[in-house]
Amino acid sequence: MSDLGTTSDTAPMLRAALRLIGWSGLGLIAVAVALSDFLAHAPAGAAGIGPMLAAPSSAYPLGTDLLGRDVLSETLHGLSVTVGHALVAALVAIAVGGLLGAVAARLPRLAGLTLRGTMGVLAAIPALLLAILAIGLSARLYAPLAAGLAAAPLAFVRAYDRVEGQSGSTYAEYARATGIAVATLLRRDLTYEFRGTLATVAARALAAVTIILSTVSFLGFGATPPARDLGLMIAAAKANFFHAWWAGAFPAFALIVLILCARLAAGLDEGERP
Amino acid sequence: MLNFAARQTGRFALGLLGAMVLAAAISAIAAPRAPGLGPFLQAAGLRLWAFVQFDFGKSAISGFAAIDELGRRVPATLALVLAGGGVALIVGAPLGLLFGAGPIRRAAAPLMQIVTAAPVFCAGLALAYGAVHLLHWPVSVNAAAAASEPIFSRSPQALEFAALPVLTVGLAGAAAVQLALRRAATESARETFRAGLKHMGLSALEIEWVYAVPQVIAGLLASAGEIVLALLSAAVVAEWVFHRAGAADLFVKSVALQDWNMTALILFIFAGLAFLADFLGRVGAYALVNEGKT
Amino acid sequence: MSDPRRILEIAELTVATPGAAAPQLDRFSLTLDAGESVVVLGEDGSGKEALVRVLGGFTERSDQISGTIRFANAEARPAAKRARAPIRIAYLPSPLTQPFVAHVGVSGQLSRVVARKLGSPLASAREELRLTLERLDGAPPLSLLNEKPRALDPISTAWGLLACACAQTPDLVLADHPFADLGPTAVRALLSALAAEQQRLGFALLYATGGLQAAARLGRRVVVIRRGRVVEEGDAAKLASGHAHAYTSTLFKALPQLSLDEPKGRSAARGQPLLQVYGLELAAGGRREGITFELRRGASLALVGEEVSGPRELARAVLGLDRAPAGRVVFDAVDLNILSQTMTSRLRRRIAFITGADDALDPRMTLWDVVDEPLRAHLNLAGDLVAGYRETALKRVGLASHEGKRTVATLSAFDKRRLQVARAIVSAPLLAVVDEPLRGLDAFAQTIMREVLTDFRTQQGPAFLVITSDFTVAQALADEAMVFKDKKIVERGPIVDILRAPKDPYTKELIEAVTLLKPDPPG
Repeated sequence: MSDLGTTSDTAPMLRAALRLIGWSGLGLIAVAVALSDFLAHAPAGAAGIGPMLAAPSSAYPLGTDLLGRDVLSETLHGLSVTVGHALVAALVAIAVGGLLGAVAARLPRLAGLTLRGTMGVLAAIPALLLAILAIGLSARLYAPLAAGLAAAPLAFVRAYDRVEGQSGSTYAEYARATGIAVATLLRRDLTYEFRGTLATVAARALAAVTIILSTVSFLGFGATPPARDLGLMIAAAKANFFHAWWAGAFPAFALIVLILCARLAAGLDEGERP
Repeated sequence: MLNFAARQTGRFALGLLGAMVLAAAISAIAAPRAPGLGPFLQAAGLRLWAFVQFDFGKSAISGFAAIDELGRRVPATLALVLAGGGVALIVGAPLGLLFGAGPIRRAAAPLMQIVTAAPVFCAGLALAYGAVHLLHWPVSVNAAAAASEPIFSRSPQALEFAALPVLTVGLAGAAAVQLALRRAATESARETFRAGLKHMGLSALEIEWVYAVPQVIAGLLASAGEIVLALLSAAVVAEWVFHRAGAADLFVKSVALQDWNMTALILFIFAGLAFLADFLGRVGAYALVNEGKT
Repeated sequence: MSDPRRILEIAELTVATPGAAAPQLDRFSLTLDAGESVVVLGEDGSGKEALVRVLGGFTERSDQISGTIRFANAEARPAAKRARAPIRIAYLPSPLTQPFVAHVGVSGQLSRVVARKLGSPLASAREELRLTLERLDGAPPLSLLNEKPRALDPISTAWGLLACACAQTPDLVLADHPFADLGPTAVRALLSALAAEQQRLGFALLYATGGLQAAARLGRRVVVIRRGRVVEEGDAAKLASGHAHAYTSTLFKALPQLSLDEPKGRSAARGQPLLQVYGLELAAGGRREGITFELRRGASLALVGEEVSGPRELARAVLGLDRAPAGRVVFDAVDLNILSQTMTSRLRRRIAFITGADDALDPRMTLWDVVDEPLRAHLNLAGDLVAGYRETALKRVGLASHEGKRTVATLSAFDKRRLQVARAIVSAPLLAVVDEPLRGLDAFAQTIMREVLTDFRTQQGPAFLVITSDFTVAQALADEAMVFKDKKIVERGPIVDILRAPKDPYTKELIEAVTLLKPDPPG
């Protein structure tokens, strides 16, 4: 999950400003999630609050959906669910993927290569399909866990390749020749790869798993009612999308803002593929 | 070159073998067996042996041979991925090259972040909305009206139905293409040869054209595996959103209905495509930069 | 211009950077005639880099330039004006700056440069390059330069660059530290070839350098520059005589000289054997005789030879970094090839590496972490003790005032080199392997580095295994030497004895390469 594949060659001030915007955005989202019960006009899933498919107005700023639910309230509640799930998934991806990858690169060669090969095969499958498969195989495995596990192979491979690349470096060679133990080298990797970059790694993971989670929910494998995340909301709004665009557009907007803020907070690298 | 190709061939073969083992394990779930790890491993071994003999079992839904069922669906997905790949190159390559060099790179990066932050299904729905309200095209979002029409058809209506999923997949692929190009351009810009050769007397244009551009294109080729994965992932969503009856759509349905034979086979095909693209891309990249004219 | 031979006339050239306290180059003036050479000698940042930039036409946007330049018979123009020079200028860089594309053969790139400069087709340029290489005494053939840059050694690349510059039939050659750190015999050969070509083609030569070898060999005219200003000008012999400006005298004192005196205060090794090598072969399938030697505790041995002649390969094989085809290595009475990696790891803690390669330290680590690591990892010391030892070690190498949280990646080569010594100090090794410790350093830094290493050796007394191509470095750090050529030992023994009476012609060549001034007679 490190910055392999960076494209950044931008002035440091601009990078810092964009990072600040990203983290500020995430902060605002966190506040909105924490206060969602206060900010929302209605509890989660409360149907019949207003007329069906009412356009945005002063009474319902973001309109209502097919069951008369206030879209603003539903979007806030949906954002809470999405953010909560995404945080869990990101943690799983970092732990299983990034950390394990760094450790595996320092294992004895055969063990490391076997793990790398296995994860390489899994990384060759789109993470979305892996997530769907994990959920299907486990009879509705907790979706965030599935999304985290699905994002883990790519994170593992990147962390492994990065650390393993350093194993062949001159300084690693000299370190081994002067008796620096594998455990010390591993401690170096974990300290310098993650210290100071943990926030970046977490933000990048958050963006990646949010995309996976929302897509999985959109396809019907993720959150199940009554818990509705943003992906499920957009899927439900699809049937009436062309004449009642607000029911799907505003949750989509909230989702895009969440992903964008996470990516900006992570720096200018595009992050994981969907 | 031969050494490199041999190593990549070995890597490709091992990847395919790994994918086959994974597919056999998934398929073994559906095989009749006693509970426990031992019987499962035995079943997986038998399924693996069957795969080697091109016996991929039957679909639990239709009852037909899984390979036949897939044979009916894969062409549609391949066509979608190929067409989307074409769009990805047409849109992504200029963006990547234009925004990959010089001061414009600084302004481009945040813009690219904004544009590529939308998940594929959001982009697909947005395109559908635009097509319906601005272009008045028929759209198959809520009906499987023209889902069986092939992508490369001469019928105008079929093309209209096909345009949106192709664009959806293509734009997702374009994001991956422009990232690969910008990454390669950034790495090339950091190399010391530009200053060295320029100081010795070559012009900047000559250096870029003769030496830098092949490097950048090689960077794109080396990322072929990642680009194909992005296209496949987008194809899953596009087929679902636009009701295209392809292999990706079949995968989603197979998992939902627990047809593990079909799921395993589709996964193997997708993994195989990704490995093949990665193999061809790496060999192509190597040939371009290492075997080019001096 | 009255003198038809005048190639270059610089008047009051000043190069400043906004915000900097002093200009990089301050009212610099110089004239240069056809066939004449001038060595611009100074430390890093003395202003010679700015001079080369202006003359080469690749100034930076932030450079504020004033003064005038006149080329040959053209009118004097403002130095700030970026215009094509009316004379043919050939730029000669160092191969260590990696001026080539990695994936294309070197000969192709050099041919393209020649073709561009001569305005000729690529094939003609390639032929011109081939002929020039044939003419240069000691140069490899063009076919060797077909390899990609990584496959070529720096010396061959330097020959290629020299041939490229000469093939352009230039009026002026701008040599930008071209032969730094290439080994004394190679530098000697390259400088001789450059001088011969200059005589043949009649070009003017401006040679910017921080090392003294070029000044001593080419030095009919040396301009010493410091903080952007000319300190002194004259020929090398006069500048080295001691009757010169104080700064110049100090600079030339850094010129290492071979001494024929017996080493003082460093007695012959009496300790127990520390490193024993039996029948070690460096090349598979070769003759049966391997290399056998012994290094005792507190003793010192220099492995002297050019790149790829064997010293580094021997050191790597001895320390288990590379597998030798045959032979035994016994370190502190333990055969390193027999034990497990864990056990050898414990033994290897008593070995320290100090190398001239910039990538020897992990660039991610901080300055303090580099010194602390052996203390924490090997000795498991607590925080206060670690801090104390660290402070002492950094003071001894002159890095105590540096910010401890700076990463290695942000340090200069000189700082990295000293940091390696600090790490070695806290490790308290039995054996220190020192590999070209002065590579990439300017004259002053080399002097300090010699003192730091000598102090380390004297204070802590580890055995020293020195790898170098320079006999002056060998003599400064070791008492005995083995001379290598083509992976064979051609001569061995106490260094003073070798210097007094070298037997092998290659040994004589190595000695002559660093004999820039006559060595002191035996005391």
